[in-house]
Amino acid sequence: MTEEPTQFTDEQLLSHLNGSLVVRAIGVKKIYKMGDEEVHALRGVNFSVRRGEYVSIMGPSGSGKSTLFNMIGGLDKPNAGQVYIDEVDIAALNPVELAWLRCHKVGYIFQTYNLIPVATALDNVMLPMTFAGVQAAEAQDRAVDLLKKVGLGERILHKPLEMSGGQQQRVAVARSLANQPTMVLADEPTGNLDKATGLQIINLLKELNQSEGVTIITATHDHKMLAISDRIAWVRDGQIDRIQNRDEIEIEEGEMHVN
Amino acid sequence: MTMSDSTKTHEIEALPFRKIVRITCKGIKIRIWRSLIVVSGIVLAIAFLSYILCADGFLQNAAANGTPELLKRLSRAGIEFDDMDNQRVQTYWMVGLALLISFVGIVNAMLMSVTERFREIGTMKCLGALDGFVLKMFLIESFIEGSAGAALGMVIGVALAYVEGVFQYGGAVWALLPFHWLFLVAAGSFLAGIVITVLGALYPAREAAKMMPVVALRAEL
Repeated sequence: MTEEPTQFTDEQLLSHLNGSLVVRAIGVKKIYKMGDEEVHALRGVNFSVRRGEYVSIMGPSGSGKSTLFNMIGGLDKPNAGQVYIDEVDIAALNPVELAWLRCHKVGYIFQTYNLIPVATALDNVMLPMTFAGVQAAEAQDRAVDLLKKVGLGERILHKPLEMSGGQQQRVAVARSLANQPTMVLADEPTGNLDKATGLQIINLLKELNQSEGVTIITATHDHKMLAISDRIAWVRDGQIDRIQNRDEIEIEEGEMHVN
Repeated sequence: MTMSDSTKTHEIEALPFRKIVRITCKGIKIRIWRSLIVVSGIVLAIAFLSYILCADGFLQNAAANGTPELLKRLSRAGIEFDDMDNQRVQTYWMVGLALLISFVGIVNAMLMSVTERFREIGTMKCLGALDGFVLKMFLIESFIEGSAGAALGMVIGVALAYVEGVFQYGGAVWALLPFHWLFLVAAGSFLAGIVITVLGALYPAREAAKMMPVVALRAEL
């Protein structure tokens, strides 16, 4: 009788390999119904993001970029294929579990900031912690720390409308970090900002990515974002056209500005 | 930043009811003018309802116990006591209409206050709000607005009916609109106001709670 060598099952091997993956999308398809017509927003996308990466998803509007982004963030469910966030298949989650996932694993930053207009910066940052069941006193301390970290220590009691766009987006950045998420999803975070302010936000995100090790995934067509991304996924016609690494990006940068 | 502890338990505790009430009250306070507009709609509807109910009670009592002089005055005013059944049917129509107007007005107000906050709901859901939280928040809000509006409306409606009665028919009103009747009308209108408001909020609140966050965020107003 020969002794069996220690064997891992495929599943064990996979899970070991995937341990460093924050997001894994496998054959993701999404079809929207517009009247009688079917719009294939995503046609089988495979994509994954490693822990601590800064990834940008680029693509023209209508390319499926936003749809892919929403899937990765657990904001929408695919018609076919799987999306794993921290190795959890989001399609298998019920609404309560999805809410838990959004609350604890994902921080969102939107193009239009989406702060609660009637609440102060402090309350806005505290809100996700309230949903997570963090005690008010602790939540407040953490929110103040976060607001200081994004450079708004002086403005914690201001309401969104009393702040500039860049400041509002900083509040949103602080809010996205409230529950120490595994990843931060930023949907066109600089879309509503002028060049200089946009650059500040991009630098802030990069800084957080490096100092805190937060995984950051952005959907953007801001070319300033490219220079600091670890990887860029180009989406076209509902598919990932190509994925570029940082070193390839820098070579092509001049070329891209021409486009 | 500490990464996930790779705990795969997805337990999320619903916020305690008291906390939701506090968040809701804060919301109403901050949006006080918007809330007052909703409340004023409820006030009008319930004032109309309780006024009609008072007038109906007055006529019923007048027909049964009114002095001949009063009946004559009422007849001159167009009330046909020989045909009281027909008169009752008319009154019921009026009450039904009053209820319908209240309902439509209140549902409209609630629908507005939910739809104008789709974005906010979407954002909250992205931040981890449960469907139940959104639903409860709007139901509590409608309950608070409903009770405030119904209370004020009932007082205004009953007082109007009373003052008008005293002016037109003098002291006879005291006997023909007894307090227990007034109390019933007041309580009925108050309850109707709350029930209608909460019912009116139920549909839009449920829709809002069920929405996928993307849909709520994308909703254009």
